[in-house]
Amino acid sequence: MSRTKSIFESHRLQSILVAVVVIAVWQGACKLFDISSLVLPTPLAIAARFYELVASGTIWPHLWATTVEIVAGFVFGVVAGLAIGAMVSLIPVVERLVYPYLVALQTLPKVAIAPLFIIWFGYGLTSKIVITALVCFFPILVSVVAGFHATDRDELDMMKAFGATKWQTLVRLRIPSALVLIFAGLEIAAVLAVFGAIVGEFVGAQVGLGYLIVALNFSLDVPGVFAVLIVLSAIGLVMHGAMRYAARRYIFWIRRNEAPVMA
Amino acid sequence: MTQLAAQFETGEGARLPASGSPPPWIRISGVEKRFSSRSGEIVNALSNVNLYIQDGEFISVVGPSGCGKTTLLRILAGLETASSGTVHSGGEMVTRPRADAGVVFQQAVLLPWNTVLDNVMLPAKLKGDASAARVARAERLLDFMGLKDFARKYPFELSGGMQQRVSICRALMRDPKVLLMDEPFGALDAMTRESMNMELMRVWSEERKTVVFITHSIPEAVLLGDRVVVMSPRPGRISEVVDIDIPRPRNLKTMGTPRFGELCDHIRTIFGAASQTVSSL
Repeated sequence: MSRTKSIFESHRLQSILVAVVVIAVWQGACKLFDISSLVLPTPLAIAARFYELVASGTIWPHLWATTVEIVAGFVFGVVAGLAIGAMVSLIPVVERLVYPYLVALQTLPKVAIAPLFIIWFGYGLTSKIVITALVCFFPILVSVVAGFHATDRDELDMMKAFGATKWQTLVRLRIPSALVLIFAGLEIAAVLAVFGAIVGEFVGAQVGLGYLIVALNFSLDVPGVFAVLIVLSAIGLVMHGAMRYAARRYIFWIRRNEAPVMA
Repeated sequence: MTQLAAQFETGEGARLPASGSPPPWIRISGVEKRFSSRSGEIVNALSNVNLYIQDGEFISVVGPSGCGKTTLLRILAGLETASSGTVHSGGEMVTRPRADAGVVFQQAVLLPWNTVLDNVMLPAKLKGDASAARVARAERLLDFMGLKDFARKYPFELSGGMQQRVSICRALMRDPKVLLMDEPFGALDAMTRESMNMELMRVWSEERKTVVFITHSIPEAVLLGDRVVVMSPRPGRISEVVDIDIPRPRNLKTMGTPRFGELCDHIRTIFGAASQTVSSL
């Protein structure tokens, strides 16, 4: 990214140009070297398959199921992460007794426990929602705990000097300060939510975009797989964009170049 | 270290007022502060500090880093407690932050998510009083500091000097008896700093607070203070209290007068006598 910021408008234009060039080279290379569509389909073939999936209505129930899993899992994961993170941060006993176990649990690859959730919660949406929630839970938990620890010492002194009670310090200083890192956690969780739902569907599902990928892959419909991938990345971008929008709105005092979030 | 610590110094600030004058507003008696460092070594941050401050007096405290001047201010503000000795303010012992003291820190320490007005209102809000009368006072203070048009702005939209002026307004919000200032202009550039000094003298002449002003700048200490408390490190102690007999009102031209130069030189000599590191000042 060596482009200068002074030409922001053309910067955006250049990005689009890069995409156009990559797609053109891709299309040309597939034709030129006669690459099998089973290995790498051409962009045009993917676009055609994408149109088919949409026009025939095949994709809609899958898109709906996955969207429900992502949104519900994200919401549950975030709520649980905020609640438990707040308890860990504000109640020293909980931090001492519970937090080490939570950290240990975090090191567990969530994919490895996904089969268990299928057994416990069945092949329906519930198991995917639980997996997604679990995947979203940890970044939120960590960001809440880090956020509360990150309260500025000078600001704490200032509140104390002006006679703030513990509760006032919490509401007026510690929670707003924590928001900065919490939003960074939300942004990570938003992207992980897509990952969680798809992993859950891979392990066992009857509907959903992850299920659709497995099914299309099984019938060697590689352009179809790519078409679903486009849909998935669109969902990820929307989730991520929503979090960035919320961050700009709610932690407006952090200037963009200072924000501790993914670009 | 221990040898130096054993070298007992008597603070000269504890002069009893002449009979008939009112009792001092702030009485610092035999204040000591010891920290244990990470290696378990005991560090004497303050050793036998005695100082009486009159109501309405402007006291500058000057000294090199490590002389405990910030620690002294934090004890005065009730943010820290002395290891031994006492601090009285208005006849009451200072054990925790008090409503009759307003503190201005090295950094402005404004809450970035609050507007300028809300930041000034903070001390009132913490007392559960956000009445129209309080808002009017906050606005009056901002107006007085030349920040009238910035009340609805956020701190990040203000320059460093303006931010520090907001924090002075905040400190004055509850109309405190005492203003405690910990190197408030240290982070500002020289030009801004001079104008802030003038601003502060104007505030002081209008509001007549008792001010304890910490600085590491000798000219600043002399320009502002009725008396300059000179501190030295290892252990942190008062070396001398210098009366500044330059008449008020003072302004930037005061800094060019011979008397001003003499007083600054005198304070530098105290540092020279206290340590060999005079060049570092």
